Amino acid sequence: MEFSGARAVHVTQGDVRRLCEFLYRRTGMSFDNNKRYYIDRRLAERIAATHSGSFQSYFAMLRSDAEHEIEHLINAFTVNETYFYREDHQLRCMTSHLLSTLLQRRKTGDPIRIWSIPCSTGEEPYSIAIWLMENWSEVDNHNIEIVASDIDSRALNSAAEGFYGARALMRLSRQLVDRYFAPVDEGRVRIDPGLRESVQFTRANLIDPQDMARYRDFDIVFCRNVLIYFDDASRRLAAENLYDCLRPGGYICLGHSETMSRISSLFSVCRFPEAIVYQRPEAKHV
Amino acid sequence: MPFIKRAPFAERTNAESANGLTRHLSELNSPDAEIRWHAARALGGFAPAVPALAVALEAEKVPHVREAMMTALMRVGDEASVRALLPYLRSQDAHLRAAAIEALQALPEAVAPFMEALLGDTDADVRILATELARNMPPEDAARALCSLLANELHPNVCAAAIEVLAEVGTRDAVPALEACAQRFSNTPFLPFAVSATIARISSTES
Repeated sequence: MEFSGARAVHVTQGDVRRLCEFLYRRTGMSFDNNKRYYIDRRLAERIAATHSGSFQSYFAMLRSDAEHEIEHLINAFTVNETYFYREDHQLRCMTSHLLSTLLQRRKTGDPIRIWSIPCSTGEEPYSIAIWLMENWSEVDNHNIEIVASDIDSRALNSAAEGFYGARALMRLSRQLVDRYFAPVDEGRVRIDPGLRESVQFTRANLIDPQDMARYRDFDIVFCRNVLIYFDDASRRLAAENLYDCLRPGGYICLGHSETMSRISSLFSVCRFPEAIVYQRPEAKHV
Repeated sequence: MPFIKRAPFAERTNAESANGLTRHLSELNSPDAEIRWHAARALGGFAPAVPALAVALEAEKVPHVREAMMTALMRVGDEASVRALLPYLRSQDAHLRAAAIEALQALPEAVAPFMEALLGDTDADVRILATELARNMPPEDAARALCSLLANELHPNVCAAAIEVLAEVGTRDAVPALEACAQRFSNTPFLPFAVSATIARISSTES
């Protein structure tokens, strides 16, 4: 394969296999030869973007994670845009199973605490709020606290502002958009002020135990599409941090391409019709 | 709206006080696994806690607490913590071996002084795990160490592990060592096959 650009870079089948093995080992994402065109395109983009003169120099850069290249490559291989009601099967699972199970074993009056980390520009925590308002008949009988955190303070500011374009709304019905958003200018809307006030935005670093120690007693954590970016040791550290942030019996929802079983033995796997989620065990290990 | 907000989160606190550290060190011996877990988590990254963590790890039977102790040692990441982790490469417990290798892989610089001994260990399983540790070394150092291993290694599974890592980190400089290995193990068909696949990959990358 020759890539066009300032300078053509030759990439062989062996190179592609080397890259795919690295990606699999690092992230668990598997690509076979049927996806060759897809892989070639994305690899070409990254080689061009990094001004690498050869696959070998690009691969060396990738392995050393210079300039956060692993993150850039994974972004190239994944749907990294966020939008409202993304992976809504997990939201359905929350209202169909998780909340009722959690409520069975708690004291009346305790708030239900839900955490979205990383929350990026806010689509996920606002989706959780909208989903609960629309799909959970018990919503008015409980105090619900939604915390949304990210390491990127610019994303947090944007989330708190609550402006969105049409692409972010593509999964929402017209009625939902009319109910929860107000038009601002051409192609942009702003989320309802009541919802903006409902979510607490904070900065947090998932792999910093001291930072994470401020976050405790959550019932449900949405931690989607971030562990895939970490190396094994960071994933384990993140899993330990998340374990401490959950109440015993609390649930964690990961992205569709992620699995906690590959990371840590801390959590139990719970298979529901809508989704697989992970649970911090109730029992003490003595 | 049914949603509530609490007071803003406090800013993160600074490092533990000396009293807190002393308490956590003693809690490593608590009969309650949850207390030991929290103590291990709190001691992560504190070099003076390494000896106590090493002793506690030896006695610990609860898997998730052992893993937390290993993570705590990894967060220190000095020579003493590497020395505390290395014995678990010989563990009969696969989870413990996996946790140790993961922690050590995150510390390539601290592990580097031990690599020669690990790749020359009398236990073939340790040598196999050492090839995985080589993966996270600078590629030139890793390739040199693995080629040196291949020159004398007698166990085909160790050679196979080294060849697999060379497929990722190797350059054409590794080809003579790979060819010599294939020749020595010509009666073990999977090794010449693995060598030819690795040479093809290395060579095509550099063409």
